[in-house]
Amino acid sequence: MTSFTITLANQGGAAFDVDHRKPLLQSLREQGVDLPYGCQYGGCISCAAKIISGKVNQQAQRALNNRQINNGYIILCVARPLSDCTLEVGVESHDKLYRNPFLDPLAAHELKADIATPLDEQK
Amino acid sequence: MTNHCCGPGYASPAEAMTAPREKLLYTVAIYTGTGIQKPDYLCTIDVDPESSTYSQVISRLQMPGIGDELHHSGWNACSSCHGDASMERKYLIVPGVRSSNLHIVDCGTDPRNPTLFKVINGADIKARTNLSAPHTVHCLGSDIIVSMLGDAQGNAPGGYLQLSKEFEIVGRWENSMGGIKFGYDFWYQPRHNVMVSSEWAAPNTFMPGFDLEEVGHLKYGREIHFWDFEKKEPKQTFYLGEDGLIPLEVRFHHNPDSSHGFVGAALSANIIHWWKDAAGDWQWEKIIDVDNEPHPEWPIPIPGVISVILLSMDDRYLYFCNWLHGDIRQYDISDPHNAKLTGQVWMGGLLGRAPEVNGVKVTGGPQMIQLSLDGKRLYVTTSLFSTWDNQFYPEIRTNGGCMLMVNCDTENGGMEIDPRFVVDFGKEPNGPSRCHETRYPGGDCTSDIWV
Repeated sequence: MTSFTITLANQGGAAFDVDHRKPLLQSLREQGVDLPYGCQYGGCISCAAKIISGKVNQQAQRALNNRQINNGYIILCVARPLSDCTLEVGVESHDKLYRNPFLDPLAAHELKADIATPLDEQK
Repeated sequence: MTNHCCGPGYASPAEAMTAPREKLLYTVAIYTGTGIQKPDYLCTIDVDPESSTYSQVISRLQMPGIGDELHHSGWNACSSCHGDASMERKYLIVPGVRSSNLHIVDCGTDPRNPTLFKVINGADIKARTNLSAPHTVHCLGSDIIVSMLGDAQGNAPGGYLQLSKEFEIVGRWENSMGGIKFGYDFWYQPRHNVMVSSEWAAPNTFMPGFDLEEVGHLKYGREIHFWDFEKKEPKQTFYLGEDGLIPLEVRFHHNPDSSHGFVGAALSANIIHWWKDAAGDWQWEKIIDVDNEPHPEWPIPIPGVISVILLSMDDRYLYFCNWLHGDIRQYDISDPHNAKLTGQVWMGGLLGRAPEVNGVKVTGGPQMIQLSLDGKRLYVTTSLFSTWDNQFYPEIRTNGGCMLMVNCDTENGGMEIDPRFVVDFGKEPNGPSRCHETRYPGGDCTSDIWV
């Protein structure tokens, strides 16, 4: 088993060794970390966390738009680690997750991946 | 009027209106999305004005796990089983939209202290039917069907889950979804062999929150569907276009002979009316149009967002909420082609018209409503959906939701917020929670259908 170390910056720097094949939500909950979650298929955003350092594979997520991804959000129920990572978890990490769309519209490149226009294709 | 049968509910809408006044309410309250790591729960609220605990939560039934997002609910039996003495309105089916779990709650054994009877696990529903994200629950005489807004991966259009009266999974109810793109609410009118369904979006689209920009990319609904109810397949679709963006709550007249029905188009903030014409063809028209309101500091005007509509039991009044504006409206729809505004009250909302009511800061706007069978008391809650709450009313995380009551004048029209009644969900024992749909033990104005 390849394992990586996941450090939770907003839980006193607690560190956990996790299996690279398992979703982070599952690995962390199995080790007693109390995390929010909902659909467990990558679509509902309840388990979103912010990645401070490291890399994950979250191809299966369908919840995040490109602005949220650029702000560092990952979906723990489907994200698998590709390296050691430092995360902020829980609602405390959601400061940039939600926006009022009437106050703060998304640009074309900030939409979800399937409908976004990449910056280099604009104009 | 006498009750000739001993099944649940009432022989007719007129008989329902003569039922005793409601004394208890069942309202879902959520911690999903709040940061409080506790299960969502079902509240029992005392609404007997003679009681010492009037206007208070008197019991709380926690669900087994966190993250369900309890939302809507429905009875195992309603007036559609009125002729069946073997049926009883005893169990409330309380789905979790995010978890797909269905909680079967026994409200009959001790109505003041409901208990959990059974959980149908979301994983089992996904495995057996490839459906997720349960929303509306209606009983169909004996079996129960639930609109499921996605497949097991959260993609549209989902379908309909059928449960037996013993709460076993039967399978998919519908024989075909036809060309339907999205699911949401539904209501049936058996004497016209019709069911009408509406459209929100795929769970993967609406659950993370509302990206307005996705409406233009056709990720949200703008059609309603007329089903052949017996054949269990869609027969006709109306494209509502810009007049019908995100058509949510569907209501037929309670009168089972009537073909008139209504849907609230949330984002267009319109009420759409349909009926069957003299030739037997379905027709539709827009009867109410709520203008968007400019905000001094925002680039995009604010739509009303009609998240709920409801008809009084005599089909005379239509009520709806503009969740983002903050008003509840009452229209006389005696002539359903010609709705007349007869009442309006304000609570919360983004326009700042009524930030505080009955001593409680209202965070959110008027959202789910439930009307007493006699049409005189309208109970209102303020939370829509955890992620959407977090976008539009972020202070709800610390303030929680609230429930208010509106007194409705059924003779002359008109509404007034009752000064004696408020349930502040900001003061719940485990921390601020958010309240959503309400049911009455004896049936209410959105629970029962006559066959």
